[in-house]
Formats: sequence, C-alpha cells, structure tokens
Amino acid sequence: MSAARFRTRPSFVTSLLAPLALIAIAVLVGVNGTPSFQGTVTLALCNLIVVLGLQVFIGNSGVYSFGQLGFATIGAYVAALLTLPAAFVLLQTPGLPDFIAEAQLGPLSSTLIAAAISGLVAIVVGLPLMRTSTLAIPISTFAFLIVVYNVVANWDRVTGGSSGLVSIPTTTGVETAGLWAGAAVVLALAFKWSPSGYRLQATREDEVAARSIGIGVTKERLIAFGISGTLCGVGGALMAHQSGVLNPTTFYFGATVTTVTMLVVGGARGVLGAVVGALAISVVNELLRGLEDGADLFGAISIGEAPGLATIGLGLILLGTMVAMPNGLSGGREAGELPWVRRLGPMRPPPLPKSGDAASRAPSGRVREGGLDAAGISLAFSGLRVLEQVDLALGPGEALGLIGPNGAGKTTLVNILSGFQKPDSGAVRLDGVDVTGRSPSRLAHDGLGRTFQAALPFPDLTVLESVAVGAMGMGIGRRRAVRDAAAVLGRLGLLEQAELPAGTLPPGGQRLLGIARALAIGPRYLLLDEPAAGLNEGECEELVAILRKVLADFGCGILLIEHDMGTVMDLCPKIQVLDDGATLRIGTPEEIQADPAVVESYLGSSFLGVADA
Amino acid sequence: MTELGQNLIDALALGSLYALIAVGIALVYTVMGMMNFAHGEFITLSAYALYVLAGLPFAAAVALALLAGSAIALATERVAFRPVRNADISAQLVTSLAVATILQNVVVVAVDARAQSVQAPAAFSESTSIGGLAVPNLEFVTLGLTVTVLAALGWLLYRTRTGLAMRAAAENFEMARLLGVQADRVIAVAFAISGALAAAVAVLIVMQTGQVSPTMGLTPVLVGFVAVVIGGFGRMFGAVIGGLLLGALSSLLGAYLPDGLVPFRDAIVFTFPVLILIFRPRGLLGGATGEARV
Repeated sequence: MSAARFRTRPSFVTSLLAPLALIAIAVLVGVNGTPSFQGTVTLALCNLIVVLGLQVFIGNSGVYSFGQLGFATIGAYVAALLTLPAAFVLLQTPGLPDFIAEAQLGPLSSTLIAAAISGLVAIVVGLPLMRTSTLAIPISTFAFLIVVYNVVANWDRVTGGSSGLVSIPTTTGVETAGLWAGAAVVLALAFKWSPSGYRLQATREDEVAARSIGIGVTKERLIAFGISGTLCGVGGALMAHQSGVLNPTTFYFGATVTTVTMLVVGGARGVLGAVVGALAISVVNELLRGLEDGADLFGAISIGEAPGLATIGLGLILLGTMVAMPNGLSGGREAGELPWVRRLGPMRPPPLPKSGDAASRAPSGRVREGGLDAAGISLAFSGLRVLEQVDLALGPGEALGLIGPNGAGKTTLVNILSGFQKPDSGAVRLDGVDVTGRSPSRLAHDGLGRTFQAALPFPDLTVLESVAVGAMGMGIGRRRAVRDAAAVLGRLGLLEQAELPAGTLPPGGQRLLGIARALAIGPRYLLLDEPAAGLNEGECEELVAILRKVLADFGCGILLIEHDMGTVMDLCPKIQVLDDGATLRIGTPEEIQADPAVVESYLGSSFLGVADA
Repeated sequence: MTELGQNLIDALALGSLYALIAVGIALVYTVMGMMNFAHGEFITLSAYALYVLAGLPFAAAVALALLAGSAIALATERVAFRPVRNADISAQLVTSLAVATILQNVVVVAVDARAQSVQAPAAFSESTSIGGLAVPNLEFVTLGLTVTVLAALGWLLYRTRTGLAMRAAAENFEMARLLGVQADRVIAVAFAISGALAAAVAVLIVMQTGQVSPTMGLTPVLVGFVAVVIGGFGRMFGAVIGGLLLGALSSLLGAYLPDGLVPFRDAIVFTFPVLILIFRPRGLLGGATGEARV
C-alpha cells in the first residue's frame, strides 16, 4: 500500500487552470488586435461556450446530440428581443407581446434570462428524448434542430422570419466573452466531477453495469442535457450581442458541424478538449476562410475565390480525427491527467482510508428476518421454456450456491431477481416487499447488488472512481463515496491499483473490481454470476477467501452462480441445482454430491468417481 | 370525395418516396450498424450526375446516375467508413457527418452554391386522369418504382446467397464472419445498393422539383433517419412503414392544415416521431423500452 494515491479529481488545480489559461491567452491576444480581429476572437470564445455546452452532454454521456444549436438559437433570439430598442422591435417583429417589446434589458440580465429559458426548453425537450436509445437521441435531437429552424424561419411576426433581426445592441466584447467562457469552463468541470457527472460517465462506459449499481440512465442524461442547453443558450445570446444580426441559419446545420468538429478534434471527453478544439478550429477556420476569399499563397500561387473550400477543410479534419485519432488532440483527458504533466512531480499525498470505514457502510445490524425470495418464476422466450415454476430463497447473511448445466436458466433467474428481465409469472420479494418488475437501478437502491459473467468494467474511469460511483448512485456525497470506495478496495486487495484506469486491470482484477463495485452500493443481497470464470486455481482460492471475508464483513446474503464445484462447495452451506429451467434439488454440498439425479444431470460420472476415490 | 382521393394518392406517393430513402439507410444500418449521414449526399451527387448528363437521352442519364450513386457509395465505404467499421455507433455517425460535409461542399466548389435547374421530360409533368382524378405521372412512377424496388430487395435478401449472407451479418456480424461470410463483400453490396437507391430517389426528386442544389440531401436524410427510428432500428419493414407514415403525414398536413400553419408543417412532421418515441422508445416494431439488453 506504499504510494497509493487518491484523487478522484486528478490534480484538480492543473486541470482547472490549464483551460482557463488558454482562454486568458485568447483574450489577451484579442484585446490588442484590430476591431475586426477582436470580433473574430470574441466569436471564437462564444463558439467555445457552445462547445463546452456540447461537451457537458456528449462528452460525459458518450451520446451525440445534433440539436444543441437549437438551444443556442433560442438563447440568441430571447436575448436579442429583450435588448432591441422598442422602435426597432415594432418594425421587425410586430407580433411580439408588449411587455417584451418594451423591455430593453442590459446585456447581463438578458443573457441570464436567455440561459434560463434555453435550459428550461432543454429539460422539456429532453424529458421524452432522453428515454430513447443511444442511437435515437442523435436523430431526434437533429429533428429538434430542424423544428426550431422551421419555427424561427416562419414565425415572422415574432422572430422576423427568414430575414432575421438587425440592430441588436452589440455589447459582447472580448473581455465579456472571455469571462463567460471562464465561467463555462468552471461549470463544465464542476459537473464532470460532481456525483451526477460521474454517474453519467459510468453510463457512457457501460450502460448495463451502471444500471446495476443504481444509476438511472435517463435521469442522468436529462440533467446533463439541461445544463448543456443552458450553456448553449449563453453562447447563442452572447453571439447575438456580438454580431448585432441574427437569422435562422446562424445556428443551423453548418454551425452544428463546426461545433461538433471543434469538440471531436479537441477530445470530447474532456473540458480541456473542448477548449483546445474550439480555439484550434477557430484559427484553422480563419486561415481557410482567407484561402476561400482568394488569398495569395506564399505570394506565388494565387487562389481564386472558392466558397465551400473552408468547409471541405473542416470536414477533412473531422474525418481524419475520427479515423486516426478518435480521442482527439487531448486524448479526452484533463490537463492534470496528461502523462507528461503527471511526470512533472508527485501528486498530493492521499488521505489513506481508516480501517473500519467499510463497516460503517455495511447495512445497519444484521437483518435476520426477511430475505430475497422468488416464488413460482416462469419465463419463456418465444415459446421456448427457460424457467418453469422456480422458487428460490436467500436469507440475510446466507450463502446460497446456484448450480446447473449450461442453459439451465441460472443467469436468466439472476436477471429476473435483479430486474433486468421480467418474468412471465411469479413474484420476487425483497425483505417481504413485492419488487417484481422494478427496474435494475431501483432494485439497487432497494439493496440488491450483482455482478455479470462478463466483467463489464468502466474502462476509462479509474478503479477508485468505478467503485465510488456506485455509492454516488446511492446519493452519497463525493467525498464520503471516495472514502467508502477506498475502504472496500482495501478489503478486496485492490487498493494498489486504485488510480489505474479500470480497463487496464487483468481479468482477475476486473472480476474483483466488479464485486467491489457491487459492494460499494451497500447491498443486503449480492448476486454473483460466475465470478470465478476464467480464473486459475490460485485466483479461485483467493476469490473464495475474499468472498468469505465479504460474508463476514459486509453481512450481505450471497447468491453464487458458479461452474467451479470446488468454489461453490467451499463457500455455500446450501446449494440449489437448476436443470432445464426447473429446480432439481436443494441441499447441503454432501446431499447434492450424493444425489444420483444431480450427479447424472450435471456432475457427471467422472465426478462421482473422484468423490469416491 | 375527389379531393380526398387526390390527397390520399399524393400521400401514398410521398410516403413511398420516403420509404425508398429509409430503406437505403436501413440497409447499411442492418449490415454495418451505421446510420449514414452521407446518404443525403449520395442523393445530392446522383442528382448532380443527372444535371451534368442532361444532354444524354433521359434513360441513359438515369442509368448513369444510378451507377454514379453506387460508385460514390462504394468509394466512401472504402475510404472513410472501412477504417471506423469497428468503432462505436457514435463514432461512425460522426464520421458519416464528416463525409456528408465534404461531399456537399465538393458540389459547392465544383458547381455552385446556388440551385441549378434541370429540365425534366415533359411526360413527367403531365397527369393521367383515372375516375375523375388527375394523377400526376410522376406519382405513378414513384409508386411503381417503390413497389419494384421493395420486391427486388425482398428477392435479393430472401432468395439469394448474397441476401442470406447479408441477413446473417445483420443478425450477428462476428458470428457470420466466423462462419465464412465475407464481411467486405457483404458491406460493399449493401453500400452499392444503398447508393443506387439514393440515386433513384434523386431522379424522382429532380423530376419533381426541376432543380438540384448542394443542400438538397439534408431534408431527405433526416426524413430517412426519422423513418428508421420510428420503424424500429434495423428492421427493413419498419423503415418502409416509418417512411410511409412520415410521407403520408407530411402530405396530408400540407393539404389540410389551416393556411396560417402551413409554413410550420416541417415542425409538426418532425415533432410527430417524438410523440411515438414517448410511448415506444425503440420504435413501432422495436421493444417497449429504450434500454440496452443484458
């Protein structure tokens, strides 16, 4: 346990200061330029805010939205209409209600109102959209973009229609945009490092595993979608006050491609990536536009005016990034996580966990009544019987082995117990409460943990984060979740690896991590689906020792599905045998070994021979 | 009564055009798991092929446009999509967005950003009267083409070895590969057909509007995407249903919306799928939840 360091916020200060420094540099370069150059820099910073808005949702959820520029449109129009002088309003948008037409707010209040309205619309739009799948979200958000465009372009009396709005007060300067961009960086990082941000990142890494530790995918996506919409609204509002003109195509398909390119090229998973990408692409864009207008290249080759060239360049950059460098320039990391930064010096010494912390997370007292009970569970897949009238009873603090040949229905039964599958008939009761049909994340909150046959790690989160996010899913604060996670890792002997990305652990380590992750939600019942699969003999013995410790320390009941007879018989005083979707026998290891029916169906004659010998 | 009949035929014609777009997108999606943004640009470039070849006899121009559609689809598959074949769906989607952006602006650079007009054969703009209804010939062509294409596609998928390989790849790509299905070939065939379908759509759109423009693919690709989503991902039949629904809705809204609301037709059409997704997050033919299977 020598130098195990704990930072769920990897070198926090560096990660925060680096993007802020980049923005500061942009502002300093901008304020000293010509007015037109100042405008360019201001525009780049406004774009940066929109890209940060994209990052909050896309980067943390791994799900693309092509509709966020719709929120920029809403923010821009709201801010513009609130600040236009009344005389201009009457001219351009006669249908506007009087109280808005007469309102002539300042830049700050109009931007704040624009942000609030964009965020509100994002929540309302997100409510149905976030329920759909990872692939339906990009498409339905794209549809939202078109809906916004269509409404804004045709609602002449309120928005000025396709000719748009002019004479909007131009109040956004380089410094204003820089301040807002800095605030947006802080907000985006604060979200990424919040319990909600971690929960969302866990759904990005593995949706199924995230649900098993109590994370509601729809809810976490919706929160980020709302914050993202708010930031995009700010970006749109500032941009309207930068250029002074606005029309429906300002934030349409072209702007969507540009901002998505900025995010992807920089590295979508990180706030640093959003900043780097937005600034880098803004520079490239300026250069390409220079070419487009017919600049002299190196004073020798004269290129004629060619609209579209800049966009082709942008497309090629996006394509090249996707093919050659899908994690972008920053690799999706924050500044403090970059390898060359980490080599610069040691990190802050970590707070080492105090022993006994895990016990505080263990369920209070040992509930001796109740239990996890399944009664009369039946399930068929298109006529094919998988489970038929299966009962199962797991008492508190008890270890029950579930064995049976391949295809006996063991995993299906665990899926039903943990809410991943609904039975055709039968009921599941958790400490006396009927929980049949509850969602996996709800059941996790009710005290049910599980692991999977595949390890399903969160590859890009560290080992510590992977475990802590489970406690965060239970609504425990970040600090305490990290402390508890460290304690669980200590019990399972994973503390040394706490800071490694979960994806880099060897298979045995990933299995243990899966158990640690499930334990971190403080389950009263833990369902383990073949935890020893793929482990060698030594690792198996180690696993049994650890599971014993889990039984003793955490006090939860364990249902153990396992093929390795030694492991099951070592650990479980009671074993249930499933065969062809029905219970064949329940008994002690000795009774199971002695039962001819069990031996014939599952253990096989060779096992009998060994047992006799 | 005649008006109703007229409107219904219009609805069916637009619906089948949308179904053709959706099937082209769904074909690539089922085989490769990628929603292809560039399908819109397959349509655009095929339409420009028609524009460039306007001097040739119409049938020859159409045949060459179909070839062009296939060729472009195959080329993008080879250059851009093969390298990201094993990337996740989001990465593939963004890659196709990049390809779409490039192709669209190649047209801007090579021709012009403004729309160009294309002369359609006179026969297309005439109508045939049936039982008091004046049905535009183009609608007959659209309906006939859709039925033919769907039948041919059904034959290909269910009656040929290539189709069997494609369906196997759609079910389980890795397994199909292990069993000897040639991934490169199956995907190439899917792209070639998808490109030809896009070209067929392009011909119909150009005959309808009489013009081509660099952004003409945007609305069709969105329509196709939404149709595939409503229909339930990865189901050809679902894509057809989704396309028919969306086209019929759009056409009927155009006919029956009060005048003041007609400009907002697109907004209403594209809000409609959201209503479906609220109740069926995985689409009409998909499961009841939006959550991934264990």
